[in-house]
Amino acid sequence: MIGELISKDDRFQEILERLNRKSVEDYYNPYRMFDWPESLPENRWWMSPQLTTTYGTDVAAELDQEQLYRLSRCESINFYSLNVDGIRELIVEVTRRIHTRGFEIPSEFFHHFIGEENEHMWFFAEFCLRYGKKLYRQMEPAGDGDSWPEAASFLVFVRILLFEELVDHFNSTMAADEQLHDTIRAVNRIHHQDESRHIAFGRELVSLLFEDLKSKATEEQLLQIQEYVKRYLNYSFESLFNPQVYRDAGIPEPFAVRRRLLASPRSAEFQQQVFRKPLNFLIKTGILQDRDLMPAERGAA
Amino acid sequence: MPSTTSSNVDAVRNWLLAKHPERESIAPDEDLIAARFVDSLSFVEFVLTIEEASGVEIDREAIDLADFRTLSAIQKKFF
Ligand SMILES: [Fe+2]
Ligand SMILES: [Fe+2]
Repeated sequence: MIGELISKDDRFQEILERLNRKSVEDYYNPYRMFDWPESLPENRWWMSPQLTTTYGTDVAAELDQEQLYRLSRCESINFYSLNVDGIRELIVEVTRRIHTRGFEIPSEFFHHFIGEENEHMWFFAEFCLRYGKKLYRQMEPAGDGDSWPEAASFLVFVRILLFEELVDHFNSTMAADEQLHDTIRAVNRIHHQDESRHIAFGRELVSLLFEDLKSKATEEQLLQIQEYVKRYLNYSFESLFNPQVYRDAGIPEPFAVRRRLLASPRSAEFQQQVFRKPLNFLIKTGILQDRDLMPAERGAA
Repeated sequence: MPSTTSSNVDAVRNWLLAKHPERESIAPDEDLIAARFVDSLSFVEFVLTIEEASGVEIDREAIDLADFRTLSAIQKKFF
């Protein structure tokens, strides 16, 4: 049982205590934290160019500077919108588990986690609605059911961790990028600070949940987990390539552009950059055996 | 035109079959979710495929799974 594994693990409990303390010490009022100018200058990068989906591809070569800026603006709104919907799932799933059997010890941390995520959702949505005048809505996940209830918590927390790691790659790059407006850098920097605690926690909890799962899973089930995790890494990466964004940026044939970009060698390289740290983690824990993510049909598209 | 509509829903069928090389055909009333043609991780791609083939923009906030369960439901709703 996961509760037993946690209660026997002194190292995990020490880390939890340290992260709880840090959450209290670093606590801030998000509603007073940022300057929100009336508008942000349009003729600039809104997202670091190397994080935009067309970077280094022949699609980008067909666009002029103004179109590239506009695309970076739409892609940044898509990125913050992904956060809003991602946080929704995360808050729901953690709320389901707080103060329930097995999660007695991390519940204190869950309070910080839920509270902080609520605040993140607020500032990401605020950014989108102020400067993009919209949120790009994600599809609600549909049609899985509970085919393997024992793995449910592992799958939830591995998804949360990988989502936070993807986001953090963007946040840490944009926080440090002097080409970006101060408000954009601040939103990314503050989120990065909070997420470093969440990611540290997530890696510990996912490691323990996997240990627990491994002790009762068959080889076949472990292979299924491996396949699911890889598919999730593709799914979350591909959500950055949104045809609605290409359309809003004034790029013709948005569906074809998306396919072209996903099939380009640059996207495989970009994906490896985005997931470099979590792939190290997944391999170290034995959740994955290799870093090969490119699905056959993406290359063939 | 009837001939165009059927060729359009064919694009959706072909996409599903390409993802499931173990299958040769899909009956119009086969439940795509029960048969695991589509799951939560492929649903986004599935919806994008229908949007592109039909030219209809699908409202993310008003997804009714019943409209997506079978090829005939998809044809009826989006083509
Ligand atoms: Fe967050
Ligand atoms: Fe987080």
